[in-house]
Amino acid sequence: MQKRTVKRNALQRLAIIRIAMGSYAVIWTLVRTINILDTSRQPARRFDPVGPLWFLDKPLPVSYVVVGIGVVVVAGTAMVFGWRYRLTAPVTAVAFMFITTYRNSWGHIIHTENLISVQLVVLALAPAAVVWSVDSHRDTESDDGWWALKSMAVLATGAYLLAGIAKLRISGMHWIDGDVLLHQIAFDNARKIELGTSASPFAAFFIKQHWLMAPSAIVALVIELGAPLALLKERIAIVWAASVVLLHFAILGMMAILFPYQLLGIALLPLLPVEVAVVRFLDRRRAQNAIAAPLEPAL
Amino acid sequence: MAYCIYYVPMSRTLRRLAPFIAAAVILSPLLREPRDDTYPLSTYPMFATDRGAIMSIDTAVTIDPTGGTDHLSPKQISGTDEIVSAAVVVSRAVRNGDAELLCIDIADRLDNPDLTVQIRTEVVDTAALVDHNARPISIEVVSECRSGQ
Repeated sequence: MQKRTVKRNALQRLAIIRIAMGSYAVIWTLVRTINILDTSRQPARRFDPVGPLWFLDKPLPVSYVVVGIGVVVVAGTAMVFGWRYRLTAPVTAVAFMFITTYRNSWGHIIHTENLISVQLVVLALAPAAVVWSVDSHRDTESDDGWWALKSMAVLATGAYLLAGIAKLRISGMHWIDGDVLLHQIAFDNARKIELGTSASPFAAFFIKQHWLMAPSAIVALVIELGAPLALLKERIAIVWAASVVLLHFAILGMMAILFPYQLLGIALLPLLPVEVAVVRFLDRRRAQNAIAAPLEPAL
Repeated sequence: MAYCIYYVPMSRTLRRLAPFIAAAVILSPLLREPRDDTYPLSTYPMFATDRGAIMSIDTAVTIDPTGGTDHLSPKQISGTDEIVSAAVVVSRAVRNGDAELLCIDIADRLDNPDLTVQIRTEVVDTAALVDHNARPISIEVVSECRSGQ
């Protein structure tokens, strides 16, 4: 009985992640379509392929990118609804990996889509459409899906751990004295001004708060290096996830750098018992509907 | 397990190993130099480097006939709205000796024929610039061209 509940919870959480990650992939692709196409139209001399596209020696025709965008939108929408998930989810994951890798193949790596790209690959192999999907009326056997939740949680925490380690490898313990953070905030905003855009409206305030820099640097490093602890217990995971979201709000305020996937908490869903809240909400709505429904006329 | 339309059935062993495989994959960038970044398996080097208080920043500006200077936007510089990509485009052009080519690219995109485009390296006190729009400490013009020519 308990085993069945545990399995049901995992499958429900996977379904929530399918809807959230799939929707994010589709919406991100639609919102960034012009940017992706503009990037793809740059002169060939700027092309510098990375990751899965390392083998390309010249840019692809823009039509390939248009097809990639179309595939993410169409297959991704089907994936969100859980329609023919075994086909639509892997296709979405591959197409999303392609368009984001191609967008990063022009001389600079942008760090906002790395995590969703790899988490989508795991999600594509998971039983994430067994419940709450258009195909869920069909009888099926499935494993409990915990392996996928754990794997996606490992990917999320691993990325933050890496970011913390990178700070220590590049700047050493000097990173926590606050100067590196202060210089980073000033540099990032100065570069925005130098390149004809606006700095964060809070940047001038923050760079005058020297006293805040060392504690902020320490807190950021603790959150990043402490990420693996979130894998140990659900309570720790909740606290850590809240800290991560706050960290991204701070980055947004200080440098006007937006990590929407992380800020919305979608990257952290595999760690959190979100299915409990959703089931409670659905039960309450069902109960309200039952009360509101008119009584059967007595015969 | 029978073929099903919902997911790819995985063996019990693979399911047990999956989190460890995920850990090995996501942490594999530790085997590279921290600045040797790629996608999607990043070393996440952003925010890690000490930039210093005084920085030289490569940029592109227009100068109108009255001498007024305007910093060009990422879209005008590189054709995309990505700030960091535009910064990389200018810096690469300066470093690789392609600044003249970039200058002409930018000038071609501008509507106004009376503007002079400059690719330049400005040395700035970054905090002072953000705080009270302080002028650059020094400006080196790397390339100059006229729009509409």
